[in-house]
Amino acid sequence: MEGAVAVGTSAVRVQGLWKRFGQQVAVAGIDLELPAGKFVGLVGPNGAGKTTTLSMVTGLLRPDQGAVEIAGHDVWRDPVAVKARIGVLPEGLRLFERLSGRELLSYSGRLRGLPGNEVDRRATQLLDVLDLAGAQHKLVVDYSTGMRKKIGLAAALLHNPEVLFLDEPFEGVDPVSAQTIRGVLERYTASGATVVFSSHVMELVESLCDWVAVMAAGRIRAQGPLAEVRGEAPTLQQAFLELVGARDRDAGSHLDWLGGGSR
Amino acid sequence: MSTATEAPTAAPSITPVVVRLKLSLLRNGLRQSGGRRAAFITSAVVALLFAALQLLGLVLLRGHAHIASVAVIGVAVLALGWAVMPLFFPSGDETLDPTRLVMLPLRPRPLVNALLAASLIGIGPLFTVLLLVGCVISVAHGAVALAVAVLALALALLVCVALARTVAAANIRLLTSRKGRDLAVLSGLVIAIGMQVVNFGMQRLGSTDLGRLDPVADVLRWVPPASAVGAVDSASRGSYGVAVAQLALTAAVLAALLAVWGRSLDRLMTSPDSSTLQAVDAPVRKRTREGGGLARLLPSGRTGTVMERSLRYIWRDPKTKAAWATSLAIGLIVPVFNALQGTGTPYFACFAAGMLGIQMYNQFGQDTSAFWMVALTISSPRDAYVELRGRALALLAITLPYATLVTVLTTGLLGEWSRLPEVLGLSFALLGAMLATGAWTSARFPYSIPQEGFKNVAPGQAGLAWISIFGGMVAAALLCSPVIALTIWSNVSATGGSWSRLLLPVGAAYGAGLTLLGLRLAAPRTAARLPEILTAVSKG
Repeated sequence: MEGAVAVGTSAVRVQGLWKRFGQQVAVAGIDLELPAGKFVGLVGPNGAGKTTTLSMVTGLLRPDQGAVEIAGHDVWRDPVAVKARIGVLPEGLRLFERLSGRELLSYSGRLRGLPGNEVDRRATQLLDVLDLAGAQHKLVVDYSTGMRKKIGLAAALLHNPEVLFLDEPFEGVDPVSAQTIRGVLERYTASGATVVFSSHVMELVESLCDWVAVMAAGRIRAQGPLAEVRGEAPTLQQAFLELVGARDRDAGSHLDWLGGGSR
Repeated sequence: MSTATEAPTAAPSITPVVVRLKLSLLRNGLRQSGGRRAAFITSAVVALLFAALQLLGLVLLRGHAHIASVAVIGVAVLALGWAVMPLFFPSGDETLDPTRLVMLPLRPRPLVNALLAASLIGIGPLFTVLLLVGCVISVAHGAVALAVAVLALALALLVCVALARTVAAANIRLLTSRKGRDLAVLSGLVIAIGMQVVNFGMQRLGSTDLGRLDPVADVLRWVPPASAVGAVDSASRGSYGVAVAQLALTAAVLAALLAVWGRSLDRLMTSPDSSTLQAVDAPVRKRTREGGGLARLLPSGRTGTVMERSLRYIWRDPKTKAAWATSLAIGLIVPVFNALQGTGTPYFACFAAGMLGIQMYNQFGQDTSAFWMVALTISSPRDAYVELRGRALALLAITLPYATLVTVLTTGLLGEWSRLPEVLGLSFALLGAMLATGAWTSARFPYSIPQEGFKNVAPGQAGLAWISIFGGMVAAALLCSPVIALTIWSNVSATGGSWSRLLLPVGAAYGAGLTLLGLRLAAPRTAARLPEILTAVSKG
């Protein structure tokens, strides 16, 4: 395995990253060091700052403060080196949806400067592997959520990046598509590449990741190999709830009218 | 479910609830930002001042021979405005989008009544009431006519509001299907042609007396809601039978509108979103084939890639398509119609270049948040330069032949062939200036174009859009001033005439130079401001 090579090298290094939106602090000075060649999960509840963090790490959002390095290159000072090395699947941003799936891949690959026939070759394979071959001539605007995530993933993989950033890649995706995405990602990390993905589904992160960073309220609560973060707790879910300080609220006693048939 | 068992407990009308909802939505909207509050207050003051002046004018004109025609046509235009408004400004109705009430157990009938009541709140209805008051007072003579006037006012207002709601409801159905894009194109043309009709109407009015309006008014006084004002007029003249018929006609149309609206609400709320249906059974069409030919004609590398995408979007993206259709139509209609009337000059042909040049503005806003895909591939000012140049080239591929065609057509219609070179030169210079300022403002003042509805600016960014477009147009005019000065000189001075042919190459070269300069200046700004641009264009 390439894991041995990866020891000591970081795919992503984040130092003192801050972002405020008006009064609200979205990311409150986080430090992160994500190892190369690993499947890294960034977990946290909704509103924890995962998307903001990933946007800043990938250069799509300018931080108020802090530094980000990807494979040793500063994201803001050396965009040429960084942008060629990363693939991104953001959450909540559109694609060029009036292109067909194949056109989107062709557009995205050519924009990155790949030769046309190489783009076509890779696009055909990606469309096949991701089960999109049948819908390749349909406009992306008519795609379902799962298909959108898959075409976005294909566009992010097309230029064979070193580090892949995926924001909620399994959100709203049906089990079949999820399994397909999973297969592609596992194969990709096995070749030594790094995947960083965010999610709030603990079971998923637990089953996929070697390395986990837990985020809540704009801060990193824990980071490290999965087993380390999980610690004594039986599941990551339990460990996570303890980390973010969510008590077992006794919801039952207040909702005594709920259920039972009477209105 | 059994309505019988519900009846005793339920049945409080939902009208007050919906009205209160509308009021709190208005209030919260204003609370959101100072700018929005200022915009609301300004538009309210302007609208009310305008309406008050109109009211005053109509009241003063009371007794004028043709005032009935003016009042009837005024109401007809007002109703037309209400019918067209939801196509362009869905925001007025957005506050109470019926599809948001889908999950509530509401029947269409009470919902229609409640929504109708709620739509009577706002600046628009107030403006309309003021205008209608002016119209009915100006024609009402005698006690009976005044009584009819009160009824007519209420009916006309309700017809206006119901018309807007019906169009909006039908519109939402169209928008959820992708067929909405055809409507989008249509609406652009409606504006373009409507503007011209108004323009010619004004010219007619200016040249002749109000008596020319009478034949139009004679038809419109039977068309609701203008028929309500017609009824007041008929009552004033003592023809009570006609008045009753006109009122009845208005009421019937109101009932019909409410029925249609109720039916489309019912369908809106019970039928599934057509987008989900389409995903399943839309026929798979081969789309890349048509693009294959296009790609072969374009240069390779980023330039061709960007051009291909831009050109495809002009055809496939409803917003872009509508903007282009409008620009193409107005750019053709204004100079050619004026030439046909014999009133124009060949210089009006520059309108085509100007209108099409606007499409260069807010390039990244046209991408919407999909701009991230572009942002991730721009890592140097050079990349940004090629990106912007590709977009400018795509635009030129259509604009250059089109502007030339319009210019030739206009000069030909006017028979002023000797002016063709200078007008063409001026057109090209203007086009170049528009491209240059468009590229620069795209980088400096990007704003979001919401994909939903027919609005072209996201809330809170209207100021940006105005700065971008109008500042840019003024700047473009200033940049063109050397060529304009040369053109004037060649026309005025004794020896200038023989030089006018040179204005074509000079204008073209000047325009090309401006474009290149604009792209050069815009590129480093774009490359340095990628995250800020993405944030600015992601609000829609």
